Amino acid sequence: MKYKIMVIDDEKIVGDMAKMSLEQEGYEVETFLSAEPALARLKEKKFNVVVTDYKMKGIDGMEVLRTVKRDYPETTVIMITAFANLDAAIEALRGDVHDFFPKPVKIKELKASIRRALEKENAA
Amino acid sequence: MLKNSSIKKAIDTVSGMFNRRKTAVTPEQFRALFDRFKKVLDSNNSALEVITDMGEKLGGDYLFDIVYVGKAYADLKREMECSLQQFGELTGNRYPRLPEVFKQIDSLVLNVLSEQPALPGPFVLFFDDISEGSIQAAGGKIAQLAEVKNHLGLEVPAGFVITTAAFEEFVELNRLESLLSRIKEGSFGESDLEELQELILHGTVPPGVSGEIVRAVERLRKNSGSSVIAVRSSAGEEDGDRSFAGQFRTVLGVPLRPESVERAYRKVIASLFSAKATAYQRQTGHPVGSMKMAVGCMAMVDAVSSGVIYTSTPDGDAQTMMISAAWGLGEAIVEAGANADLYRVAKDREPRVITNSIGRKESRIVLSAEDGTIEQPVPAELRDRACLSGEQIAVLAEQAMRIERYFGSPRDIEWAVDKQGRARILQARPLAVRTREQPAKPAQTLTPGGNAGHPELFRGGEMVQPGIGAGKVFLAGKPGDSLKMPKGSVLVAPHDSSLFVRSMPLVSAIITERGSQTSHMAALCRELGIPTIVNMPDAMQLLKHGQEVTVIASDEGVVLYSGIDRSLLAGAGQNGQQMEALYEFRKKRYILRYLSPLHLIDPLMDEFLPERCRSMHDILRFMHEKSVGELVEQARTGSAGYRRKTVVPLDLPVPAGMLVMDMGGGLLNQPLKGKAVLGDVASVPFKAILRGMLHPGAWREDPVPLNAGDFLSSMMRLPDIRSMTESTAGYNLAVISRDYVNMSIRFGYHFNMLDCYCSEKAKNNHIYFRFAGGATDLTKRSRRLDLISRILSSYGFTVKIKGDLLIARLAGFAREEMEHVLDRTGRLIAFARQLDAVLASERDVILFAERFLKDQYELASNSHSIPR
Repeated sequence: MKYKIMVIDDEKIVGDMAKMSLEQEGYEVETFLSAEPALARLKEKKFNVVVTDYKMKGIDGMEVLRTVKRDYPETTVIMITAFANLDAAIEALRGDVHDFFPKPVKIKELKASIRRALEKENAA
Repeated sequence: MLKNSSIKKAIDTVSGMFNRRKTAVTPEQFRALFDRFKKVLDSNNSALEVITDMGEKLGGDYLFDIVYVGKAYADLKREMECSLQQFGELTGNRYPRLPEVFKQIDSLVLNVLSEQPALPGPFVLFFDDISEGSIQAAGGKIAQLAEVKNHLGLEVPAGFVITTAAFEEFVELNRLESLLSRIKEGSFGESDLEELQELILHGTVPPGVSGEIVRAVERLRKNSGSSVIAVRSSAGEEDGDRSFAGQFRTVLGVPLRPESVERAYRKVIASLFSAKATAYQRQTGHPVGSMKMAVGCMAMVDAVSSGVIYTSTPDGDAQTMMISAAWGLGEAIVEAGANADLYRVAKDREPRVITNSIGRKESRIVLSAEDGTIEQPVPAELRDRACLSGEQIAVLAEQAMRIERYFGSPRDIEWAVDKQGRARILQARPLAVRTREQPAKPAQTLTPGGNAGHPELFRGGEMVQPGIGAGKVFLAGKPGDSLKMPKGSVLVAPHDSSLFVRSMPLVSAIITERGSQTSHMAALCRELGIPTIVNMPDAMQLLKHGQEVTVIASDEGVVLYSGIDRSLLAGAGQNGQQMEALYEFRKKRYILRYLSPLHLIDPLMDEFLPERCRSMHDILRFMHEKSVGELVEQARTGSAGYRRKTVVPLDLPVPAGMLVMDMGGGLLNQPLKGKAVLGDVASVPFKAILRGMLHPGAWREDPVPLNAGDFLSSMMRLPDIRSMTESTAGYNLAVISRDYVNMSIRFGYHFNMLDCYCSEKAKNNHIYFRFAGGATDLTKRSRRLDLISRILSSYGFTVKIKGDLLIARLAGFAREEMEHVLDRTGRLIAFARQLDAVLASERDVILFAERFLKDQYELASNSHSIPR
């Protein structure tokens, strides 16, 4: 069975590029331009990893993190942000984020991070 | 980045020197001059770092967003403004056009960043009035053709373009928006597209547009004296990197009358929504309905012969071009059918025909006396005759090479030779080629006799696009049949046809009995990565409808196996799974075309002018060259005593054409007769570099044997110092002091810049080295940089490469170590002069790098002849 990855970012290009590169790894990828429909989708389907932007209009990345950790604790969250903001990183880490990347994100590193998350999930 | 402390030191030394010697020029004046010079170079360096970084981040290996692009560009702009400011002061604002050109490029970049459509422009533009900034208005195809005419001065038929602004006006007046936006959202069927095309064909050309067409028709008739034109599409695709080969309508032989032009105009813009064109747009990631169409109207060449040139072979051999030719107008070649002549031409300095095959040309298309064109039989005596003379091939090849060099990437060129024997360029669009670094498939898959359970059926045919495809055979006797083809089929047809594009999303592979490497179908298959074979004799007979086959097309040949070999398919990878296919990605990356390419190559050969700058890199290059020149000039025009001491030619055993400007302690003695010799050089870092450059073997004088391509001669042509004394163009200059050197040196198309402080205090020491070069083909350019990078990295440099640029830095080494590295860098600078002629493969890169590091500098031109 394929692992399922969700990508949330308000810029289409980020989702498009992530989808294309992660699908090459054999993952099933769904992308969302905002958090609201993404969270609705989580109610219907289990995702192994959620990659979310930190700063978004409406529900932001921190709230996505909190919601996922509360309602779907087995799902891993990776945060990406346009601003290499230390406070944001600390806040996210406290919220049990798996990884935190400033944009531009090296795709190789994101892939490695997802692999580690999935290995952890399998070990658990 | 350069350490300010070391610059200050250099300047202080200079001041000290001038104070002691009391020259006519005050130390303050000189200090200010050199200070500006350094500031220009520093800002240039920072700007180039940003460009390099953007090239890396936007290269497909990173997830990036517009926030990053905007911020990086703001950094670049700040550095460039600073540099322009200092440059203006340094040169007494001698180049007022330069800031203007900067503003133009800046506004183009901001347009891309803001995603704001350009202001509505004129509805009609004559080719002469189309500039870099008009790509959106004129559409990619016509804008590029106009560049061929306006920048390269090649012969292009006279004409004008009805712009994308006219298209928008047409959409508005005929109320097509609501239908278009429905299509844009993706909820549409064939019937919506048909309705839209009907509405366009019967639509009204807006009065404003119509009025401009009337005037343009009149002007074109007067200027060109022609009465018949070709009306061609020029889609306003944002990136201009896609070919759109054969996707849209072209109407030939249109009488030069307003009503006829308008009728043809409607036909062409309607074709934007044809089933075939929309299929292509979907596959290349262009949202259907968002593209705008400009339409070119150009005088028809009453062609004796015409054809297509690929400036690189489709399989990526950049040293060879292909010219196809047929009698009459060019339609015969670009759409299936006719047997054409095919020439393979080596891109040497004097183009050389490698092979030719003269086709039997039964029919030709010519202009008819009435409307349009007619097909007629070729007179018997011409059928088997070559369409081109040796001289004509040479002319066409030379023009094609210039065009490729100008655009910096392989081109698909349409040409025609008229009754007077003059060659005209009709089109110069991008050509999708395969890079040779990715072999289609490992050789072991082509097992003779077949793989387990899959006997070999037969071999043959000519590969257009490599790959592996498997499925049930679908025999399409007529191109239209392919529409009924089930998903996953192997399409087999008698002829190639661009109509197959509609089936391309569904097809596993395409095989045709006849066809050419230069057809529209071939271009599309390469672009979309569909395994494709043409000229497979009797394929329609040998293969049965519904039969299961696996097709392998690779450099080794084409093989068909019986059945569907899943193990092969699994290893074949996914075609087209590249970022390039993403519309959003291309749109953002588009900005790079205004930043990184280097067009302004040779201050001695080209018109080295501000108005020729087309990218930020060009502007930076211009400023660098002219700053060096300015420093030299100002020193030369000073008092005689000052001149003698500060700027002198350096007599070297090799013709490096080097001027030296001593800022204090860089030269030992008072140079005699206005010339310095090697023994006079006291500058520690400069001496070390020169030692390296003069190292036995590193600097070769003899031409590299074989493959000495187009650019070699210019590389060996070094600036003659005597002929340069009255001109500021093209100095090789070293500004030196005892501990410092800033060297700008150019060999042909290679630009080296080295800035180094080398003192007893290791923590102050640094080397900044930059290498840039254009002109050769992309593959070789990247190999060249790869080789230099491997070598520099092994000496401890941090190296960044993107596009045409390499930036290497190193700091904190002790003096002895610095001298060692400088010596090797000097050797590398000399060695790299001749790299373009070799480097036939990736293997050469590794090999030559390894040898260089073992102090072996011989270059064999062919990797096969090098003993392992």
